[in-house]
Amino acid sequence: MLVVAEREQLPVPQAKTGDPAAWDTLFRRYQLPLYVYVFELAHDEQTSLDLVQETFIAAVRHIGDLRDDAKFGSWLFGIAHQKCIQRWRKQKHEEILPDEFPDAPDESENRPDDLLIRQEQEAEFMQLLNQLPLPQRSTLLLHFVEDFSLEEIAGITGTAVGTVKSRLHYAKKALRKLLEEKK
Amino acid sequence: MKTLREILFARHRTAAPKLDAIRREVLSAEFVREGRRVAVPKFRIADAATLPLLVWRELIFPCRRTWAALAAVWVLIFIFNFSQRDKAELAARKLPPPSPEAIMAWRQQEKLLAELIGPPGTTGDAERRKIFLPKPRTENAEFLAV
Repeated sequence: MLVVAEREQLPVPQAKTGDPAAWDTLFRRYQLPLYVYVFELAHDEQTSLDLVQETFIAAVRHIGDLRDDAKFGSWLFGIAHQKCIQRWRKQKHEEILPDEFPDAPDESENRPDDLLIRQEQEAEFMQLLNQLPLPQRSTLLLHFVEDFSLEEIAGITGTAVGTVKSRLHYAKKALRKLLEEKK
Repeated sequence: MKTLREILFARHRTAAPKLDAIRREVLSAEFVREGRRVAVPKFRIADAATLPLLVWRELIFPCRRTWAALAAVWVLIFIFNFSQRDKAELAARKLPPPSPEAIMAWRQQEKLLAELIGPPGTTGDAERRKIFLPKPRTENAEFLAV
């Protein structure tokens, strides 16, 4: 079963008071999901490690800006997302960002584990995932890795909920197509 | 059958030691040096020990390419400046000394000029000041009557 950040008892109030043990717990909890998210966007180990480190530092320094403690996870991923965007802008990769799709049907009831992959399909699945446009990949990863809601993904990526819904729908559709073809 | 989350986590499990190292590094940098921090202010004054690190991390490292470019430009300016100075010195050294005729002509011109304008501060200015000194009106009237 998926671990949902917002339903966990995380020591965010203690972290706000500057408790290093609380920060250690929070970083332990999020270091791998953050790395997975950043790596699958950047595809470079050193860049991803740098981005995770920058995210941690920014989180410690700006924890005062977090209003709702329950949203610590999406707030942290929002910082990481912004760091990725800044890195892309520096590398002049802005042209791969836009994607336009018609409105998608409502899939908000779908769970991240509704897409199950067989072991022999893994390599091809990852290949296809990497072929998705960056905004779709980002949305899909946030949905699958941390089970963020559409509203939370919209907050992290700075887009409208409708856009997130559309991106998620088309990304899942593309992945399902592959899975059905291989059955 | 696996979920995408399980696949992704399994693929990146090898990064865990590096992430642990990063976590420890961040925590030691942010907390250990300054002790247990009670409040997390947005802007904090760095102490003398962390200032160079802070300057490096906040000012230099994010714009390292710009700083490198500026440094390169300065190096080029210095090189250009030194090369030009060397050239000027060499050119001055290469010039032949003036001939005795030229020195004589220059001295004659200097003498002529001194005769024309006189030695500095002797006659001209002081006399001119005396002539134009303002006089009382009564003296002027006597002069007119005469």
